[in-house]
Amino acid sequence: MNRTQDEFVAQRKPSWDELDGLLAKKSLLYKLPPASISRVAGLYREVCSDLMRARSAGFSAEIIDLLDALSARTSAALYSAPPYRWAGLRELILTGFPVSVRRHARFLLVAVALFVLPALLGFVGALHSRAFAIQVMPESMVAQMEKAYADMGHGRSGTTDSMMASFYVYNNVGIAFRCFATGLLFGLGSVFFLVYNGLLTGVVAGAVTAAGHGKNLFTFMAGHGAFELTAIVISGAAGMVMGYALVDTGPLSRWASLRLKARDLFCMVMGAALMLLIAALIEGFWSPSSVPPMVKWAVAGLLYVLVLSYLAFAGRASSRRPGP
Amino acid sequence: MRLDNTVEVETPEQVCFRFRVAGPARRAWAYLIDLAVRAVALLVVEIILLLAGGRHLGSSEAVVSSGTLLFLFVMEWGYFVAFESAWNGTTPGKRVLRLRVVKEGGYPLTFMDSMLRNLLRTADFLPVGYLLGVLVMTWDGRFARLGDRAAGTMVVIEDPVKAAPAISLEPPPSDAELAAFPHRLALPLPEREAIELLLRRRDLSPARRVELAEMLAPTLQRRFGVSSDDPVRFLALVFHLAVGGSGAGHSPPSPTQARP
Repeated sequence: MNRTQDEFVAQRKPSWDELDGLLAKKSLLYKLPPASISRVAGLYREVCSDLMRARSAGFSAEIIDLLDALSARTSAALYSAPPYRWAGLRELILTGFPVSVRRHARFLLVAVALFVLPALLGFVGALHSRAFAIQVMPESMVAQMEKAYADMGHGRSGTTDSMMASFYVYNNVGIAFRCFATGLLFGLGSVFFLVYNGLLTGVVAGAVTAAGHGKNLFTFMAGHGAFELTAIVISGAAGMVMGYALVDTGPLSRWASLRLKARDLFCMVMGAALMLLIAALIEGFWSPSSVPPMVKWAVAGLLYVLVLSYLAFAGRASSRRPGP
Repeated sequence: MRLDNTVEVETPEQVCFRFRVAGPARRAWAYLIDLAVRAVALLVVEIILLLAGGRHLGSSEAVVSSGTLLFLFVMEWGYFVAFESAWNGTTPGKRVLRLRVVKEGGYPLTFMDSMLRNLLRTADFLPVGYLLGVLVMTWDGRFARLGDRAAGTMVVIEDPVKAAPAISLEPPPSDAELAAFPHRLALPLPEREAIELLLRRRDLSPARRVELAEMLAPTLQRRFGVSSDDPVRFLALVFHLAVGGSGAGHSPPSPTQARP
């Protein structure tokens, strides 16, 4: 038993090399043939005991580092779940997203209030006073918005549509992600982005209405609003859930308390991002089209019913199992 | 406070592994490389779009700008997640600097972990240039930025390690040399490690090696009552005997070797 380091290395190295070779073959262990998997498990135990022996015998740091790295890699390969399954996306849409939104319904209500109240304020303010509108956003932008919606109603060309849809993906999903992520600052970032975006939306609507193009604007917004506004509010709610988990930690540390919510947060944000992708397509291609306003309003109503009933009822059957 | 940059993880078998976690500087380099990769990718996509858009006159502007916007979106929010998910916690920049993102238990991270830690870059970035993230890192034994803490991940260094070559005594110890040493050679572990360090160092000039050996050798020569004019060889012999190498008087009997 009292071997020198060099004898130890010489004797054990073939096993280490074999294990190293098996791990290098496939990044995921379960893709190896069954015999190789058992062999990896056996070699793993050997390497663990080699590591212990090397440590207690006080062998040099190089050999301990080598065994450390090898056994850690094997342990990770043996015990890990596959990094990603496409089935996860289906589960997210069918249950994960609506269930986690409902689980945090109180935060959703607060987020709705934080978005809608500033929007109403902005709308009423901008409707009655142009000075109010240009306090919130630059006058040139107000004028640009007014002009944009004055011209609306007779459709855009198809190429502009695809460009605008891409812009909405880039801009709106970005806003939603930022609205969520800054919630890490004890929820303050999410609150700010909700209020700010609500106010901005309200002011644009108010200014355009004051200029006499309100009908164009609301007809335009109605279609994608079901997806877009709901998704922004959900991502803001997710940010507040995250911030609140850092404040009300129960018996846990702040980060442990946050990690309990990690799955819900992930579901809410990914769900919101998917909704925004749909919204971008609607906003790019459907909302500016020259379909009669009545049809647009009917479709908008239908989409609202669809989105709200999806959030209210989807995944109820499977939501009884214990949540995280 | 610990100034070490290793993290110990215990497995279900109650084996402890040590991971070397990466600090802000090394991670910043990896980030800059990834930034450059994205810039080059954007340039390539722009050129392709311009060439493709040029064929359909009139629509080229829309093709280029919608393509650019979508690509920007994917690069900004999808680059890290895509690579970390597909390449088991590495990105091109992390590969260059031999970094890998793993769970705190040393396991591979999942898509969800990667998504969370990368979405929260926005918070780490605040107020400008990842200032908050770097500040938070200095607070933590794992150098975890906010995103890492929320996702329960850490960034570890994976330098390739090779088994050290055996220390050979050239020429092999002669019986006369070994006979001078006491029958049992007791050498405390720290002394053995010091000698091994000296013998394994490859970047020492011969003169410096002798100089260092001259500092170690006299004490041991006095202790064992051995005189030698080559301190390096003397230390190598001590090490050889201390780690259980065969000595002249106490080597296992073998049929070819007649014992005195």
